[in-house]
Formats: sequence, structure tokens, C-alpha cells
Amino acid sequence: MPCLEGAGVVGSSLPCVSQMPVAEGKSVQQTVELLTRKLEMLGAEKQGTFCVDCETYHTAASTLGSQGQAGKLMYVMHNSEYPLSCFALFENGPCLTADSNFDVLMVKLKGFFQSAKASKIETRGTRYQYCDFLVKVGTVTMGPSARGISVEVEYGPCVVASDCWSLLLEFLQSFLGSHTPGAPAVFGNRHDAVYGSADTMVQYMELFNKIRKQQQVPVAGIR
Amino acid sequence: MADVLSVGVNLEAFAQAISAIQALRSSVSRVFDCLKDGMRNKETLEGREKAFIAHFQDNLHSVNRDLNELERLSNLVGKPSENHPLHNSGLLSLDPVQDKTPLYSQLLQAYKWSNKLQYHAGLASGLLNQQSLKRSANQMGVSAKRRPKAQPTTLVLPPQYVDDVISRIDRMFPEMSIHLSRPNGTSAMLLVTLGKVLKVIVVMRSLFIDRTIVKGYSESVHTEDGKLDIWSKSNYQVFQKVTDHATTALLHYQLPQMPDVVVRSFMTWLRSYIKLFQAPCQRCGKFLQDGLPPTWRDFRTLEAFHDTCRQ
Repeated sequence: MPCLEGAGVVGSSLPCVSQMPVAEGKSVQQTVELLTRKLEMLGAEKQGTFCVDCETYHTAASTLGSQGQAGKLMYVMHNSEYPLSCFALFENGPCLTADSNFDVLMVKLKGFFQSAKASKIETRGTRYQYCDFLVKVGTVTMGPSARGISVEVEYGPCVVASDCWSLLLEFLQSFLGSHTPGAPAVFGNRHDAVYGSADTMVQYMELFNKIRKQQQVPVAGIR
Repeated sequence: MADVLSVGVNLEAFAQAISAIQALRSSVSRVFDCLKDGMRNKETLEGREKAFIAHFQDNLHSVNRDLNELERLSNLVGKPSENHPLHNSGLLSLDPVQDKTPLYSQLLQAYKWSNKLQYHAGLASGLLNQQSLKRSANQMGVSAKRRPKAQPTTLVLPPQYVDDVISRIDRMFPEMSIHLSRPNGTSAMLLVTLGKVLKVIVVMRSLFIDRTIVKGYSESVHTEDGKLDIWSKSNYQVFQKVTDHATTALLHYQLPQMPDVVVRSFMTWLRSYIKLFQAPCQRCGKFLQDGLPPTWRDFRTLEAFHDTCRQ
């Protein structure tokens, strides 16, 4: 049974990553179906699909200085919620929100940034609307294999992240049950700042990194 | 219609302008007739074309002449007086079909009725206050000395007074900012911004609150041409609910003789929404009920309740 990676994205998104031990005999597909059925019982309506993907680039060896500094990893991400944008971010650094032509620019910058092989990771699934909440349940895949599940919850009316965390937690508990995650790090340092799309992508990036690092669990193991 | 034409209008020029319009119309129709008739029969093709072009040019020149004449006369006519009693709605009186759409006369009657009602209510409240039901000695007499004397006709207050009251209330709370504008006549429109939680548009009639619309902090309160949008509802259910509650509140807080107290109480009540997403319901203890946070604020205690949980 693969372990479930729950990623909650909330706020004008908030993602929180938590380990969810899966019950016996369930696969990723079945767990996704379980979640969507719970949502539909709650009264949520289906509203189309979504997709978030991420590609990794690392700085080319030729640009590294003589001090031998380690190359930095850059992530280029797309989100179907913002179809005309492209996001580029470093791990602990700034996040750039650019036009979708940024992809073409990356091709031109081949000398400086090289794409890491087989690094594309993406999550795809359905969107649900419940009152003012937007819930996206997706399967995280790397290549052909399904590696986990991502759950994003967005509460539209509130723009300051720290205000509505308790509210979100209560909502998450209503359909995730005991697997609700803790508050994400992004909330801690920016108490009154208005939440933006860049923060969402940072959270997705952290989630993808966590899933990437996680080994493929053998069938019989439960964490 | 006599009140529309006043001293500013030159009646003679007006009559001349009307006949100039008729002349312009006939010259324009002559142009189109000429086009419709086409070329007249002459010996050569050239001759026909020349005659046609000459005729057409003549007609266009006469149109030009008539148009210039009309412009000159229209500058002489002058503007009718703008002192309609109801500003823009006074233009409804220019509608010729009075039987089918008697809007203007009905509008005037409605305004006269509400003014009379206000006046009678003021008189009644004055009389009733003399026979107070409270037994305490500390009555309205004390507070009446402290407050500025209430205006006799509270419906027609000078805009400066309204501005002063609003700016005083603006300074009362640090997290609430009120911006006043008068885009449509003398009634004030307030844009109240509460922290980073919500924005409220309040439409007033002198110092009385008429309507409110509550929208989210990230939603736009202006229309495409930059004017304040006072009609469209919020996109979020929670703010639509708060709008309903705000309408209930402005009906609840009523004091015909002291409208500034009313506005102050309403703003105090509104300010309790700064913790809209953080306060749990006082009755059930939870944050969400049917997907909505506690949107009701008690009128006296300002405690948060869910709409379904309020007593």
C-alpha cells in the first residue's frame, strides 16, 4: 500500500503536507475516489479539472564560479488556475510570476539552465466547489507511476492567510477526518500579508519535493 | 413644461433653430433623392457623369450650409436651467407619453409623501418623548445638552454637516477607513474599508443610511469606467449573507431625531466584522455551518453567531 501524501493547499491557497497511512487493500485510485465521494456527500459540486506541473532545471556547470559553488535548482511550474502564467522559483528564494512565453525563454537559456532528466512531476484531478470553498483532489504522478495524492483547498473570501487557518482546519477535518495536516510554514512568517498565487506555487513545490524524496514504498509496508 | 424653459433660453433663436432643422432635413433628403435618381440622360457618358457630380456637390454644399446655420443658432439658444428639484430624475418630466408612464408625477408624489412622513414622525417623537416611560431621573434632558441641537428638518442637511460627521466617525476606529464621494447629486456614497477583510458601499440620503452592499477585500468596487459600482452583489456567499445582515442592521438602528448617533452605531456594529474569519460562533463553538462562518453580529453585544444559531 503506498503511503498517501496529502497535500492541502489552502488560503488563496494553503498546502499542508501530511502523511496519511492508508487502510489495507486500497490503492491511490481508490483513495481518491473515497475522498471525492466524501466531498460529494458533503454537498460539493464538480466544476471541471485542474492540473499543476513542475519541471526542474539546474544551473549548468559552465556558469559555476571557480569557488565551486553548488548549482542551484530552479523549478518551472504551471497551474491551470492561472492559464496565462508561468512560475519560476528557487527553493528558498524568490518566486517569479511570468507570462506563458517564459517556457520559450527557457529554451533559449539552455546554456545557463539545463533540464534535469525525467524530473517532470504533475498532479491532475477534479475541482469541487462547496459554498465559498474550492477543493481540488489530484493524483500526483511522476512519469507513468502514481506517487501520491494532493488535496488543495482554497477559501476565496479571505486574503490574509493567518486569519482563516482555524476555519480551514475545520473544513479539512470534515472530509479528511483524522488525517488533517498542521499549519504550513508559509503562514508563520507573513502574518498580515495578502496571499498570492506565488505562495500557492511555493507550497506545491515543497509538496512535490517531498514526494520526490520519498522512496517508492513496497506493497506490504505501512508507515 | 414651463419650468424647464427659463431666463437662459432665447425663444426666437429656438424657433429659428427648429426651422433650420427642417431645412437641414430637406436638404439631406434631396441628397439621397439625387443618389436614388442616378444619372440623367445626356448625349455622352462624360456629360452624364459631370451633370450628376455637379448636382450631387450642390446638394452636399446645401447640407453643409444648413448644418452650419443650425450650429450657429444652437449656440444662441442657450441651456435650460439645471435647477430641477430632483436633479437628473427631473429630466423624466420631458417624456411626452404621460398617460402610459407617469413616472415623474409618481416620483414627485413619493418624495412629498416621504418628506411629510419624516416631518410627522419628528413631531410625534417630540411629543412622545415628553411622556417618557422610563422612571430614571437621568433622561434625555442630560444628553440633549451635551449633543449639538438636532436639526429641525433632518432630511435636508447641508452637505458640509454630513462631511463633518463622517470624518469624525472615520477617525474613531483605526482599522476602519471611510471615503466619502458624491458622484450622483447630493446623496453621499461611502466606501468603508475594514482592515483587509471587507469593503462596504453605503448609500446615504442626507444623514440617513439607505442601502449597503458588502464585498470582499479582493473584489472590485468600481465599474469598468472607474465609477463606484453600487449595484452588483459580491461573488462570495459569505459576503452576500453579510450584506443581508447589514440591511437588517440599518433597519434596526433608527433614531429620527439624532441621525449621527445612528450612523455611529451602525459603524460600530460593522467594525465587529474585523474578525469575521477568526471568531467562532458563541452558541455552537464551531467555525463553519453549511460552509459559512458566523456572519451574524448581535445588535447589542456584538457577539458572533451563525445565521442559524442566533437566538
